[in-house]
Amino acid sequence: MTVRQTHDRWWAPWLFLAPALAVVVTFILFPFANTLALSATDATLLKPGRFIGADNFVRLWQDDRFRVAMTNSLLYVVCVVPIMVAAPLVLAALVNGTTRILSFLRTAYYLPVVMSSVIVGLIWTNLLDSRGLVNNVLQWAGAVDSPVLFLSDRWLTLFSAMLVTVWTGLGYYMVIYLAAMAGIDPALYDAAAVDGAGPIRQFLHVTAPGVRATSALIGLFSSVSAFRVFGEVYVLTGGTGGTGGQDITVTMLIQQEGTGLQAETGYAGAISVVMFVVLGLLLAGQLWFQNRRASR
Amino acid sequence: MKKPIGYVLPAVLAFALGGCGIGGGGGDDSSAPVTGKVTGEITFQTWNLKGGYADYFNGLVTAFQNANPGTTVKWIDQPPEGYQDKLSADAAAGSLPDVVDIGPEAAFTLANAGMLLDLSKTDPGAQSAYLPKAWDANKFASLGGGTYAYPWYLNTGPSFFNTALLQKCGVAKDPLPGTYDTLFAAGKTMAGKCKGDTTMVGRLPAIETFGTYGVRLMDPQGTKFTFNDAKGVELVNHYKELYQAGGMTEETLNKLQTGELDAFKAGRVGWLPGSSYTLKDLKATAPKVAATVAISPQITNDKPNMYIESLAVNAKSKNTATAVAFAKFATNKENQLAFCQKAAIFPSAAGALDDPYFTKDDGTPETKLRLESAKAVSDAIVYWPAAFSSKSGDHLREQIALAILGKKDVQAALDEAVKYADGNLPKK
Repeated sequence: MTVRQTHDRWWAPWLFLAPALAVVVTFILFPFANTLALSATDATLLKPGRFIGADNFVRLWQDDRFRVAMTNSLLYVVCVVPIMVAAPLVLAALVNGTTRILSFLRTAYYLPVVMSSVIVGLIWTNLLDSRGLVNNVLQWAGAVDSPVLFLSDRWLTLFSAMLVTVWTGLGYYMVIYLAAMAGIDPALYDAAAVDGAGPIRQFLHVTAPGVRATSALIGLFSSVSAFRVFGEVYVLTGGTGGTGGQDITVTMLIQQEGTGLQAETGYAGAISVVMFVVLGLLLAGQLWFQNRRASR
Repeated sequence: MKKPIGYVLPAVLAFALGGCGIGGGGGDDSSAPVTGKVTGEITFQTWNLKGGYADYFNGLVTAFQNANPGTTVKWIDQPPEGYQDKLSADAAAGSLPDVVDIGPEAAFTLANAGMLLDLSKTDPGAQSAYLPKAWDANKFASLGGGTYAYPWYLNTGPSFFNTALLQKCGVAKDPLPGTYDTLFAAGKTMAGKCKGDTTMVGRLPAIETFGTYGVRLMDPQGTKFTFNDAKGVELVNHYKELYQAGGMTEETLNKLQTGELDAFKAGRVGWLPGSSYTLKDLKATAPKVAATVAISPQITNDKPNMYIESLAVNAKSKNTATAVAFAKFATNKENQLAFCQKAAIFPSAAGALDDPYFTKDDGTPETKLRLESAKAVSDAIVYWPAAFSSKSGDHLREQIALAILGKKDVQAALDEAVKYADGNLPKK
């Protein structure tokens, strides 16, 4: 094949890229642009709507439900992300080994990851119900006189959902940490042991710094997941968003406004755009903080 | 949190939203008299009726096809879950079935988008074949007074009381609570005697509860909701007092209809506003509770409430004449009566309630229940305003819950619910 022949086939790379590009354009770029356009209209499911400028965003600002949803989603990030970064690392350090019992524990901790979110939700709903196992045990032990309202009280419902998120996410991030820990030079542990460091000091001064980049990545991933939490809150509240809608999250609000025969797709689009911007800011903030820390 | 899919969900969601601008727009033929030959293929969609009534519907379709040679009716039955979503997807894609089983709320939304035939213009003579109140259930004042579906079957139901629970908690079972005042009083008695999670009332009031309490729900023109008046506030205050007295649990503030039914079956709730098939359901799924159940007339300060299902015709049907003929055939008196004898429902065809099936007592509890319900249907009205969307219903429930928890003033909560519901009315 001559050089000229190769140049004649300028389209070859595009041909290879075409399937992936088609998917990206069809399922990401076009819908994104369409959502942006929708957010400036009063479109409903059955009517295309007309341009209304920033009216949807003004309405959002005055919407109590949006304020509640944004508060809940941000609170989810604040509470869940630190646990998601730290707890799987500790767990990974504890199960990092080659014995059979550790292999069994690794599998057991990973099990919730492969379970359907609906099954997970049903398990936890039954556990946390006012007549569920947890309340029965608490009452039997004399810790409480009346059932704890894990699924009715505003804050308890939200924290219960966070517990479910952490329970299902631990195994996944544990595996990522295990992979990262495999890349730490064993000589560092030997040197630390020679210097008299015990398991805790080895963890703090060898393992944790050795997986810092992975921690940053997990921080980003878990922030995105936590901010757009849906399944856990949806299942635990029976799809209602909790008593008085006080546990609704941003993604649930988009689902409620943007689906069904009476869907207000323009308004749901505006919420999606705000969610996109907040997520972008959240990620940019995290990256800036991590870069700043790394450059020190 | 399993995967870094933060970019996937918004994309999928955005795609879903992106498709929402498609469709809509009314056809010019939705108000012209239907003419043309009854021939060709149509689709007929029902909601969760294949399970127990496949033989009836197959027979109905065959009878229509035999009476109208050259026609083919393709029957599609949708599962119970997500029917509204299926309707939404079909409507947005412009592929609504030719004849569709629908409630007034969905009919209102589709009619507003010009997707349904306006029967008051295309078939005004049909009105006389149905009970006036059933015909009027699909007549929408705020959409120019058009009627958008043929009435099909009706349902209503009496009150079911768990007498064992009532007795245990100090409430007399003779007489059973028959008005809202006696119900709330019994609820407080029960709260005083039975501490814990057994209560008389298992759910917050819905829009039809306001109607049966005597609250005016909407202005006659259908342009604004009015359930935030003094009577509406009075009703919510009753619930608030009951909650404060321990007569409702915090869990009930978040219960939907299915949650209320489950709690009744579990023996945790004393009163269940049921339907004509509740007894059969209780016998099959909660026999111990069914054995203690007492049935009494629906609790109302006004006329009893009823629900209606109708058959609407797609305004863009390619075989409109056939679709109209089939909708009328399925909802005629004979076919409605035949269907009612298979299912625990009631006919909307004029004169059908006079049939001996609804008037002659054979002494069995099931017949007694059917006769009482039929009597209630004769008197009942559809309280749920078609323009009151399910989203407005959810919002109303949330606002009432906040008011009962004391996080919002009752009047302010109802004002907010009315404002939200008004905001969902068709824009001029």
